[in-house]
Amino acid sequence: MKLHLATLLLAPLLTVVAGLHTSNWAVLVGTSRFWFNYRHLANVLSMYRTVKRLGIPDSQIILMLPDDMACNPRNAFPGTVYSNSDRAVDLYGDNIEVDYRGYEVTVENFIRLLTDRVGEEMPRSKRLLTDDRSNIFVYMTGHGGNEFLKFQDAEEIGAPDLADAFEQMWEKKRYHEILFMIDTCQANTMYSKLYSPNIIATGSSELDQSSYSHHADNDVGVAVIDRYTYYNLEFLESEVRDTSSKKTIGDLFDSYSYEKIHSHAGVRYDLFKGGADAARSRLLTDFFGNVQNVEIDGTRNTTMIDDELISLSKTIARLSELAREEELAAAHNESNNAAKPAPQPQKVQVTKPLTDDNWWTKKLVGATALAGCAALWGLGSYFESSV
Amino acid sequence: MSADIKNDGDSKPASADATVSLPATGIATVERKEPPPEKEADTRRRTWIVISFWLIAVFIGLPIWWNTTTIYRANLPLTQMTDWADGKACEPVFPLRIALDVGSLPEQEAQNLLRLTQHALDDLNDFSGHHLRLQLAQAPAETITPVRDDSNVALTIRLAPGDAAHTASSSLHPHLPILDVQYPPNSLPTANSPSSGLATYIATQLESTFAEEQNIISYLLETSSITPEHKPKGISQEVVDTVSKRMTRSLKYSQTYHLTFSLFTNGPVPSSWDIEAAIDEYLKPVLDMLKPIHDFTIDTQVQLYAAPGVQSQVLGKEDLSSFINAAEWPLSPSIGGAPTVNFIVYIGNQTIGVPSETSPGETSQSWMIPQWGSVYLLAPPAEATHVSSETLKQPILTFTSHLLTLLGTPQSGSLPMRLSTLARIRSADLLLRAASSLGSLARLTLALPSISIPSNVADGVVKTIHHLEFACASLGGAQSLEHARIAEAEAERAFFEKSMVGQLYFPDEHKVAVYLPLLGPIGVPLVMGLLNEIKAWKNRRSQKLKAA
Repeated sequence: MKLHLATLLLAPLLTVVAGLHTSNWAVLVGTSRFWFNYRHLANVLSMYRTVKRLGIPDSQIILMLPDDMACNPRNAFPGTVYSNSDRAVDLYGDNIEVDYRGYEVTVENFIRLLTDRVGEEMPRSKRLLTDDRSNIFVYMTGHGGNEFLKFQDAEEIGAPDLADAFEQMWEKKRYHEILFMIDTCQANTMYSKLYSPNIIATGSSELDQSSYSHHADNDVGVAVIDRYTYYNLEFLESEVRDTSSKKTIGDLFDSYSYEKIHSHAGVRYDLFKGGADAARSRLLTDFFGNVQNVEIDGTRNTTMIDDELISLSKTIARLSELAREEELAAAHNESNNAAKPAPQPQKVQVTKPLTDDNWWTKKLVGATALAGCAALWGLGSYFESSV
Repeated sequence: MSADIKNDGDSKPASADATVSLPATGIATVERKEPPPEKEADTRRRTWIVISFWLIAVFIGLPIWWNTTTIYRANLPLTQMTDWADGKACEPVFPLRIALDVGSLPEQEAQNLLRLTQHALDDLNDFSGHHLRLQLAQAPAETITPVRDDSNVALTIRLAPGDAAHTASSSLHPHLPILDVQYPPNSLPTANSPSSGLATYIATQLESTFAEEQNIISYLLETSSITPEHKPKGISQEVVDTVSKRMTRSLKYSQTYHLTFSLFTNGPVPSSWDIEAAIDEYLKPVLDMLKPIHDFTIDTQVQLYAAPGVQSQVLGKEDLSSFINAAEWPLSPSIGGAPTVNFIVYIGNQTIGVPSETSPGETSQSWMIPQWGSVYLLAPPAEATHVSSETLKQPILTFTSHLLTLLGTPQSGSLPMRLSTLARIRSADLLLRAASSLGSLARLTLALPSISIPSNVADGVVKTIHHLEFACASLGGAQSLEHARIAEAEAERAFFEKSMVGQLYFPDEHKVAVYLPLLGPIGVPLVMGLLNEIKAWKNRRSQKLKAA
């Protein structure tokens, strides 16, 4: 993509191409805990490695890992996570930035992330700061069922909730296009409820079909990757070597087969503007890679102009400072004039309640409660004496 | 009473094995001793107990359940919100006042010139959203300060008679929003002439001065959510393309930006730099100048042994975009809430291998990354351990001009004009964004009936509309940016209200699973008790009837 852009940069058509999207984001979510779900975390980490390899910086990847397989005491290879029994690539290498981990991976946090309804305290690195020019790749894996995906054995996200979250993103112009990929049992049901435009969705298995693991590592002792993710990765590793790759979404989807995945992978194009053809012709690097349309400067002969700029801005800043002072002085004079004829009456400060909403109601409720207690007591003693 | 024992024979397939089922009346022959009849008072008390339980369940339990499970939805002014989003509530018109300072010309001639120029302007301008209105200057132009334009005068034209032999010429004043026009004295229009060369000339000059602003504003309107009939007509695709490229490059508006200056070196030296002095000298003036529009916070950092993302000696175009080592360089964007603009000075011996377009012999040293910041490659300084303020001059000046670009400052015109244009563009941008947020919220409210809407969302919406009205009324003036800024912030806050989240969708199975264990043990005795009471009451009545 970069090379593609670079060649086009010199062409006058550039603006049309660059107008499509300006940033790439990835949201990678694993939803299962515990050692026997090793493969789900390996799935997520493999996807993380792929998008990072294709240039999406960590600041634009939101990684949700509900468990720490690398440091699990049952891990025979401490500090590492592998997605293949050849153990060639340590997915847990040096540079890994997990944004949401452990018990932070919840349905609520996931929906908050997508809709950006977060508190002031949330750091920018944990937010999805996308705009209407951002392409987002959303990958989810875990245990699921008909129209739900289980989060951490504790709760689940329903397909309608997911669809509503995407709709809210669309309403607020938080994405340009989304590639939604999910690897779980009955995965295709998860995207069946989506209704927002410009989403391409794909899943590993149909309703009532399981999604299977690919192979186990006998030394690790558990399955290390799921079939659907495995063949996605295989395609991405072999066909999309760098961002200049011309492989399209259609090529990837055509590579799925029942023989390989052991379930019927599904795709959904109807939400996409232009339908199947447009969706299939999108480059894979539009979602897995990163666009950065850098602008190279001219040479160093701009000094003169810049010097001028500096002196100019000094003058302007001084002038505006003067103007502001003038204004302040004028305001001061005015307030002085205004203050003299009508001196403010001295006010005695009374303790002010922190909030003054329903102050009287609260007082009244308190008084009533007290009176009620007293009445009860009185009534009790009356009955006691009369008995 | 007879016990009816049955060994679910229905569910089994019919079989010959009939010994399992006992005759139903097997034990009913023995006479049972009945308990003594209930006392009248006991029966009455039981009735009262059952009734009071029912009263509590209906009059206390039900309202509590209803209150605690209904979703609170504050009333939002939906039609008003949609009107704003569709552009019906506010005609986005920028009436720009242009003062005409005619100097020593007599009143009559000045009026005449004014009328003709305005006429020429109206002929030239077909975009009603951006209207240039001429007026005669009240005071001499020098007294008008650039930023404090209470008078809302965007530009002053200062006319001065020049050489008769030359045609009219004009130049923009570098410090003040003034267009100096020199005209040959004989080109002044006579009292009754229908047109004049000077008037047309001034009109054309004005038009070209404001052309960029007009293009940007029409682009903003074009891409906004407003309905087509409120959009400007006749904006060419070419204009859209160029402006769109510029707009996607610039950062989203924020009142405060955080500037991070980083020195990365590929070795152990240099380890210090005079960044403070350099910023004070070369960047501060521009920041001061931008103060009415933006605030800035600054921090700096130095990192040694910082390996770039690309190792090759000569960097090609595609290397530049992966030069930033996002994984290892501490360019954390999470300082405060303000968006960060990164400026990186990299000291190493790499060069850019892309010949510049202006002078093919030399190569450039810096590049800008849209919406992110810029990078400057610096050769290792002579004084090995320290980077002096003079060495930093060129990088900082480059960053300064990049900053202006990233902030979306227009490129043509004199600096004061560019600034005031920036303020107007930003207020239009914010206004449209706030309006479209309102529309989104309105549509969302209708689309998701189960989402809760707390009352502070309604407050935010009301505030937004209030400030939008102010901003719309003062468009083009100094106040509009402030109001648009508040409106946008309020609209964002209302839309991103934290408590408007939660799982909205509960399948029916979930509801059954929640309510059944809760209501089963309570409901069964309640209902059975009520049924028994009714039965007993009926019995009593029939007995009474019989007795009567």
